[in-house]
Amino acid sequence: MPTITYDKKDLLNLIGKKLSDEQLEEVIHSMKTNVEEKNENEITIELTPDRPDLFGIEGLARAIKQYLGLQTGLKKFAVNSPKLHVKASYLPYRPHLAAAVVRNVSMTDAFIKSLMNIQDVLTDTVGRKRKKIAIGIHDFDKIMPNINYIEVNPSEKIVPLDTNEEMTLAEVLEKIPKGKDYGHILAGLKKLPVWTDVKGIFSFPPIINSERTRVTEKTKNLLVELTGIDKEAVLQTLNIIVTNFAERGCAIESVKIFHGDKSEVTPDLNPTFIDLGIDETNELIGLDLKKGDAIDAINRMGYDASENKGLLRVFIPAYRTDILHKVDVIEDVAIGYGFDKFVPHLPSVPTVGKSHSVEKLSGKVRQLLTGYGFQEIIRPVLTNQKNLFDKMNLDRENVIELENPVSEEYVCLRNWLLPSLMEVLSANKHVEYPQNIFEVGDIVVPDEDEETMSRTVRKVAVVLAHSKTTYAEIKGVVESLLKQMSVNYSFKETSSRTFIEGRQAEVISNNKSIGFIGEISPVVLEQWELEMPCAAFEIRFEL
Amino acid sequence: MKKYELTQEGQEYLKKGLPEKQLVVILNKQPMKSLPFDEAKKSIGNFYIGLQWALKNKWAKSYGKDLVLAKYPTDIPEQNALEKLDKGEYAEQNLINTLLQRKLIKKIITSEADKLVGKEITNLTPQLLKSGLWKQVKFQKYDVNVPVSKIYPGKLHPYRQVIEEVREKLIGLGFVEAKGPLVELNFWNMDALFVPSDHPARSVHDIFMVKEPEFGKVLDKDLWKRVEETQKTGWITGSKGWKNWDFELARKLILRSQTTAVSARVLSKLKKDDLPHKMFVIDRNFRPDVVDATHAIDFDMCEGIVVGEGLTFRHLLGYLKEIAETFGAEKVRFKPSFFPFTEPSTEGVALIKDLGWVEFGGAGIFRPEVTHPLGVEVPVLAWGLGIGRLAMIKLGITDIRYLYSDNLDWLRNKEVVR
Repeated sequence: MPTITYDKKDLLNLIGKKLSDEQLEEVIHSMKTNVEEKNENEITIELTPDRPDLFGIEGLARAIKQYLGLQTGLKKFAVNSPKLHVKASYLPYRPHLAAAVVRNVSMTDAFIKSLMNIQDVLTDTVGRKRKKIAIGIHDFDKIMPNINYIEVNPSEKIVPLDTNEEMTLAEVLEKIPKGKDYGHILAGLKKLPVWTDVKGIFSFPPIINSERTRVTEKTKNLLVELTGIDKEAVLQTLNIIVTNFAERGCAIESVKIFHGDKSEVTPDLNPTFIDLGIDETNELIGLDLKKGDAIDAINRMGYDASENKGLLRVFIPAYRTDILHKVDVIEDVAIGYGFDKFVPHLPSVPTVGKSHSVEKLSGKVRQLLTGYGFQEIIRPVLTNQKNLFDKMNLDRENVIELENPVSEEYVCLRNWLLPSLMEVLSANKHVEYPQNIFEVGDIVVPDEDEETMSRTVRKVAVVLAHSKTTYAEIKGVVESLLKQMSVNYSFKETSSRTFIEGRQAEVISNNKSIGFIGEISPVVLEQWELEMPCAAFEIRFEL
Repeated sequence: MKKYELTQEGQEYLKKGLPEKQLVVILNKQPMKSLPFDEAKKSIGNFYIGLQWALKNKWAKSYGKDLVLAKYPTDIPEQNALEKLDKGEYAEQNLINTLLQRKLIKKIITSEADKLVGKEITNLTPQLLKSGLWKQVKFQKYDVNVPVSKIYPGKLHPYRQVIEEVREKLIGLGFVEAKGPLVELNFWNMDALFVPSDHPARSVHDIFMVKEPEFGKVLDKDLWKRVEETQKTGWITGSKGWKNWDFELARKLILRSQTTAVSARVLSKLKKDDLPHKMFVIDRNFRPDVVDATHAIDFDMCEGIVVGEGLTFRHLLGYLKEIAETFGAEKVRFKPSFFPFTEPSTEGVALIKDLGWVEFGGAGIFRPEVTHPLGVEVPVLAWGLGIGRLAMIKLGITDIRYLYSDNLDWLRNKEVVR
């Protein structure tokens, strides 16, 4: 999970109360997150993926203030009526937009830092790295209406942020880092989306803003513009940004956007509501809260609530984008009440426990194999074809391969266990022999008859490695194991290149092959750089 | 020197004659040279031994209910040998072997043991015990602190020992163990758990995709339809839904990234009669990561669900507390947390000796958007533990790679989990 670092002084200023580190940490833990790091000046926390309203320092401070009871209930934000109009073309690849003007900002260091932070974090997470949403924040006083959201030829020009050079949009995509990073989102388009004013392009979403409208310490008024492919996400994210800014005392002014004949005004900060039964709340969380208790709890989480026809009508702030269902509000009742106040209660639910047949059988086999004095091994299921086939002197077979491996060592799932054990022997050449080891574990084989086009199979493999090991010795083990497990068996000579010719066999039970046994070929031993004879078997048990 | 001495039985036969001899003498005395079996049986002791040897030597044969003398032996070599050996005289080796076999004689032990009488000896031997000479020897004193060679027992992997302990605990609590496939459909791993199609945890950086074949099968079309509706509109669950759903993505084959996929499979198969039900699974999952001391791409999770009428969040905390105590938790606390498929959600933290507060697992009540499409209308408590990390605590190790260790020295020398 990504983390975010906040300035402690700014956070405490916004909260408006002096808190010790311990108190701060404790309250942050109630915000579904963890403090990852802290020092004298800063505090780093893990982002709570469902609460983007807490990503910004202002939103986090608001939630803390409410939780501590310093300012409970729904926070109301005034939105001034729109003066600015935007004309929007319908761009099918990026059809949704929203904007707001934020007035009377005071560009302190803390605010500048917060403003950059919130843009980055929101576009990365909610914005899915700008694919779903892109955000542009501009010095509004540098913009000369009329404002349009339109598409233009790639030959149109812009002076991109942090440069002094005018270049074409095509050049932006090719030359500057942001263009290279995010250009793929616009791949294949003949025309490109831009925001323009009378002076030309001032934003090229989702790539970059113009240097002309750069926000500086002197900026007094801001234009916040969002574009994206998910209407609700675009609108909600604007709500989060402007309510965060408003916490610093700025004024929010809406913007009227014209889509042809139709128009809409953004942002809409009116709360929505959900009706909640006190019984269903108590049933889910296991408490016996009275209506008043529930209202107190929910107020601490920043909602307003009132009684309505026997139900609680809960008003949800416009920045809470995570409320999909009643249960989301009920959780907030529980958090507002305080998780620490819940008394864990182990209920009496009469059921009979049972182990899975595969695990039960595996347990018996492990018990026998340790009884023979062998050491259990547990190895990763992920491996590579070199281990599975090349080093076992076999031709490569079809196995389950990864589309997106992270290293050459782990590229496919093992389809037999023996290579895993050979790997262990190979890593312990200087350790005292005999090395008699086993694994009872899973392998995966392709199988077109299955839902998942593959089958996970539990198998058993044993390798004996010492100077006097032979086919006879390993046969003794497999015979004893099968006899103890009440499995009938016979041996049929085979000719695998993994084993020495004439010292290997298939293990057959009920006319079916259940595995193989043999003395490992010196060709294989050399591949694993082993200088010790090895005898092995691998079998599967029918359940 | 006498090499053999007669056993008690041998002594008896020396006096009375071997049973076969006794038998033929009696038969020879009969007017018809025969006796009914019943009478012959009563005539001597050890009748069957005598009969066996008399028949074998063709001195007697059976004729209906009668035993008839076939040939009266002029000489009985075994009898002679018995007498000779008693006097310490020579006897043929094959006769000696027969008598030894019949346990009529035994070899007089004249081994090294005799020489040891009164002396100090190193090893107590079976011979000393058999001959009783142990009474007459002294045992050399050992240095009780003598250094000895190492013995490595056949052992379960330390990690397995922890897993087994947890399994035992859960089965004891009434949980039924479940399993599921390692290669999984995105559908079970994510979609059925109400994770939106565009959730960041579904990116190629977080989930291993299967190269070939790319897609799995849609078996229960009705279920898929319900999940699709829930994802898009909330269906009848009372939810707003996620507006979008990507069917192709749901069909894709991946490596299971969470055992919650198994919980979803189990829930989809549950019938009303199965309730209440408790299920657990301890099994392997995979995630793309660079393997180092704290990251493994193969990792195990221990997941449990409790399904039944009237279950609440407080009950969930009860189960979590109980399980945390398996790992030696002295105290537990619960923090608010977030998982896409549960609400309310919590993270359990346990106070563990020498370590302080440690996160031990995430839990919650499955969202209606998860349970309803799967056909479950009662609360489902769910929890998941990173059993690997908990095992590391229990085993006192800081490198996660030891859980799948190829270090035989460590495996051999690591103490068993108590």
